Amino acid sequence: MNDNGCIHLNNFKAAKGTHPYKIVHAFFVSCTSYEARKYKATSCLCFTCGKTGPRMHSCLHCIFFGCYSGHIQDHSKTKKHFLYVDLGFGNIFCAQCQDYIYDRELTDIAVTYKLKQAKSLGLNVPYTPWLPNNNEAMALRRLRKRRLISPHTTIGLRGLQNLGSTCFMNCIVQALIHTPLLRDYFLAEKHKCKAQSSGKCLVCEVSKLFQEFYSGAKTPLTLHRLLHLIWTHARHLAGYEQQDAHEFFIATLDVLHRHCMNGVEDIEKKENGRCNCIIDQIFTGGLQSDVVCTSCSGVSTTIDPFWDISLDVAGPGSLQACLERFTRAEHLGSAAKIKCSNCRAYRESTKQLTLETLPIVASFHLKRFEHSSQIDRKISAFISFPAELDMTPFMSSHRRAVDMAGADNNNAPQGIFEDNRYSLFAVVNHLGSLDAGHYTAYVRQMKGSWFKCDDHMITRASLREVLDSEGYLLFYHKTVLEYECDVS
Amino acid sequence: MTVNNTIAHQRLILTGDRERFKDLLMRRLIECGWRDQVRMLCREAVKENEGGNVNFDTLVSRVTPRARALVPDTVKKELLQKIKTHLLTPKD
Repeated sequence: MNDNGCIHLNNFKAAKGTHPYKIVHAFFVSCTSYEARKYKATSCLCFTCGKTGPRMHSCLHCIFFGCYSGHIQDHSKTKKHFLYVDLGFGNIFCAQCQDYIYDRELTDIAVTYKLKQAKSLGLNVPYTPWLPNNNEAMALRRLRKRRLISPHTTIGLRGLQNLGSTCFMNCIVQALIHTPLLRDYFLAEKHKCKAQSSGKCLVCEVSKLFQEFYSGAKTPLTLHRLLHLIWTHARHLAGYEQQDAHEFFIATLDVLHRHCMNGVEDIEKKENGRCNCIIDQIFTGGLQSDVVCTSCSGVSTTIDPFWDISLDVAGPGSLQACLERFTRAEHLGSAAKIKCSNCRAYRESTKQLTLETLPIVASFHLKRFEHSSQIDRKISAFISFPAELDMTPFMSSHRRAVDMAGADNNNAPQGIFEDNRYSLFAVVNHLGSLDAGHYTAYVRQMKGSWFKCDDHMITRASLREVLDSEGYLLFYHKTVLEYECDVS
Repeated sequence: MTVNNTIAHQRLILTGDRERFKDLLMRRLIECGWRDQVRMLCREAVKENEGGNVNFDTLVSRVTPRARALVPDTVKKELLQKIKTHLLTPKD
């Protein structure tokens, strides 16, 4: 099957152009406006039987709707009209060829209108599968070497040499390398470096690292260049002693984010003032803080970006319980009075943190290290964490709806079309004590396939083993991704 | 189709909720691997019919029974539940 249509469609297009198809599509297939939806809702009835289908088609030659099974065929016989548009999907049916016809030009029109419809309804951009363009098709033909990804491939797995207490870096690198969206970004060579001097950009270094990980070689890698780059750009981490993996993670994101912005003009940055570098696209969420004055009930709301969520581990026994406590309203007490802009006075208040926007990768930091003036200690309390996590209960919109609805309403608040499910893809563990410890990481290489990364050693692991581990840093990836709508 | 059904149908189209449900259904079918399975069924059907021209109708008649059976119960239940809740929620 090619996408040049058929002789009948081509003749039709030569005589009348694409306008009839555009009209039918914009009004009855992908309704691009409220007006169009009104027409579709009231007039899409079969001219023969008066029903709404199944498989309603519209004649492309005249104004006629008919069911596929029989009624459009009758119309073809009596009127000699042979081209129809399927109102469910927008495909063209040719009654002379007795089949659906593909036409590149009309397909492109359909795609544009579908995007417009999604935008007018506030839906996510519909998924369109990748089609190679001419250059890509040529490249695929020229490069005949293929790598088969089977459930047993170990591609993407490589050990990392310990350069003297650098396990804190190794485990973070393993987690980043196995972040699905970051991998897609770098393997698609999306980073176009605008930095003036080569060899100084951490993003380029990470890009090279992905190539190394996926080259198929199995020998452990040495990350001296990466370490050096981070030392030069995050001075506080320089030196040969053991560092905190969490601190290293945040510092790495920060340097990557800064280097992404190198040489990027202000106009390329997002208009709403938020950074759209790959790090912020994947890791940044918005934390909402509502301070409620106990006297006047006035609410002051602020939203701050975050890359990870640090959770207290004393008390609750599961990640969900930690998050529940994190998002609970907290009375600030008389010692911490806040100036209420409404009362114009210092008042007691309650404060509640909720998640206003969720990042694609949700990173949780379990605060297992306690540093105080009296004592430095590690809390090894068991905190269970799930393989699949639904973040809906911790969102600002959900909290608001629950508070408003009270106890009598058990309907899910508004967001039946929202999907906030996350799945675990990496866990960093700290073994041993505060001053003599070691870091390892569990990473998910493919769905259901876990590996333990202990510096240069990579061993297969079970999900059970991962979930039973202590857990210091937990990385969750959004299960379903929405597409951003960029139609104007 | 009764008058009530017609009104419900029209309202679903008018508000765009019909498209929203379709979108949700499509996402679920992609997530659970249904679409890939059906794609494989179609490939098989075309291969079996080597040489002969397969048109859409023969493909539909051959694949539909198995494709329908492959839709997971959880997906059906979720959609049914959500559509029900949606239709029963009074609108102003």
